[in-house]
Amino acid sequence: MDSSFNDDEHMSVIMKRGSQGSSMVSVGRAEDCSGNIAILRSLVRIRQLFLNVKLKGENPLLTQLDPLSSTPFLFVLSMASSLRLYLTCIRNTLEAAMCLQNFPCQEVERHNKPEVEMKTSLELLLNPVVICRNEAEKCLIETSINSLRISLKVKQADELENILTKKFLRFLSMRAEAFQVLRRKPVQGYDISFLITNYHCEEMQKHKLIDFIVQFMEDIDKEISELKLSMNTRGRLVATEFLKQFI
Amino acid sequence: MAAIAVNQFAECVTCHAWSPDHSMIALCPNNHEVHIYKSIEENWERIHVLQKHDQIVAGIDWSKSSNRIVTVSHDRNSYVWNQEGSVWVPTLVILRLNRAALCVQWSPKGNKFAVGSGAKTVCICYYEQENNWWVSKLIRKKHDSSVTSVAWHPNNVLIATTSTDGKCRVFSTFIKGVDAGKPRKSGSGSSLDAKFGEQIVQLDLSFCWAFGVKWSPSGNSLAYVGHNSMIYFVDHIGPSPSAQSVVLRDLPLRDVMFVSEKLVIGVGYDCNPMVFAADGIGSWSFVRFLDEKKSASSSARYGSQLTEAFGKFYGSSKQGTSNDKTRGGVHDNCINCIVPFKTSSGSNKMTSFSTSGLDGKVVIWDLKNQEDLLEYM
Repeated sequence: MDSSFNDDEHMSVIMKRGSQGSSMVSVGRAEDCSGNIAILRSLVRIRQLFLNVKLKGENPLLTQLDPLSSTPFLFVLSMASSLRLYLTCIRNTLEAAMCLQNFPCQEVERHNKPEVEMKTSLELLLNPVVICRNEAEKCLIETSINSLRISLKVKQADELENILTKKFLRFLSMRAEAFQVLRRKPVQGYDISFLITNYHCEEMQKHKLIDFIVQFMEDIDKEISELKLSMNTRGRLVATEFLKQFI
Repeated sequence: MAAIAVNQFAECVTCHAWSPDHSMIALCPNNHEVHIYKSIEENWERIHVLQKHDQIVAGIDWSKSSNRIVTVSHDRNSYVWNQEGSVWVPTLVILRLNRAALCVQWSPKGNKFAVGSGAKTVCICYYEQENNWWVSKLIRKKHDSSVTSVAWHPNNVLIATTSTDGKCRVFSTFIKGVDAGKPRKSGSGSSLDAKFGEQIVQLDLSFCWAFGVKWSPSGNSLAYVGHNSMIYFVDHIGPSPSAQSVVLRDLPLRDVMFVSEKLVIGVGYDCNPMVFAADGIGSWSFVRFLDEKKSASSSARYGSQLTEAFGKFYGSSKQGTSNDKTRGGVHDNCINCIVPFKTSSGSNKMTSFSTSGLDGKVVIWDLKNQEDLLEYM
């Protein structure tokens, strides 16, 4: 994340659906959504991101994803913004990024491997995109000509959630072959990663794949908080049972 | 309906080509085989399976002048298939490649073909009578990345290439003995005097990967697409080309095709062919989607009265359904191949073409009933 980002400067992105069906993006500080100049100044600081990249429904983000630039683009959605906005943003980015094709390796003879993993030719990679809801929840989308990697960081409010997330996602990663698109090891700094190649796009429908990722993100939060609840309940029960003997 | 025939040939079709009389189709079902289907009483029957490659076949072209098929594959090889009786006999082409071959096209006269490759080279192959095989001459060290597409100029000498370094280049492929004598001068001017492999022009318009280059029927202009959702039209190929870029609001294109000098069809990740047209002063713009399911987004300026009304009617609810837009169209996965089908009888105008995609369908489209497009044809 950009180090110049302080908590009080969290940007909020509000997507409005116009009556004509076109969506519009407005950006402002969480407290003060008016001051245009302040907004503009903040915009320039984050590489004119929001000026260029519109969260518009069908507008491909790929126009902005030029290769050869290593710094990821950054989307920051404020704490206040709902989960739905975060997921919509991810969905639209995936929609644009999932334009993959069969592409044989140009460095190694008779090989055909995901370029996003091999990184053999710089010109075959697109700019990575980071979508942040807050510091604890973010999503990194890396794209190449024949593959796409999505890495998620799941919200972990306390130590218990931290342990639960780690164990749960490890459980899933060990069974990665059942999910096809799941990567066995997450990318560094993230909790879980998906690797989608052109072969997945040939076998499966694109919108179903995107639905799967988004559904997964929705469910993972629910799952963790349920686990946490049952963990607490169980703890309380055990403690009650244990302390009964001293009465 | 613009789509007049839909055929599901396989799970996934990587490329296809038509026989000169359009009664047979050769296609690759996303593996190392090439299947040839023949139309027998309204049904398509598989009559031949060409098995010689050992990796996925990336390109097929069926010569218009001689009944020969050329195939290239990721296994670095290329074969020219000749029909002898009822069997197709392959001849290995010595491409001298050390990476995958990605695309192929016969020259208009059918005496040469060009192969683009992942080795950052283009092979120009021609038949050598004395040795009885196809030999290749390489254009080396001109491309910085894989060559994704090649296209022959109608004069049989110039080729245009696109590459994943984002550039489109035009080369001369004049081969002594094959191209008899000096070719006569045409629209592209003095560039025909260039020797083999000389770069005529390099177009650096796209900053992302470029695909699907095609020449217009006269050879005066060419079109190609970039992965940044742009389509580029270039006129006056030569020392001072003039270019136009058209930005799309939808997903990127994979391939284009000229129907006439003023009409271009583009296909790609939107699963729906897009129509581009040039107006009186030669400026290109997007007209509409060809598949009627999505004609709601047609621009009112070009659309007929009916589509205009549809546009107004659906305009308000369009945004909400943007997520399931791929469902309901003729194609439901990325279209990656578009080839001309038939020209209308009597005139030389092309009116129908076919598309194939990752959904395994080959769709034949007819433009005859598209009244709003007739003026461009």
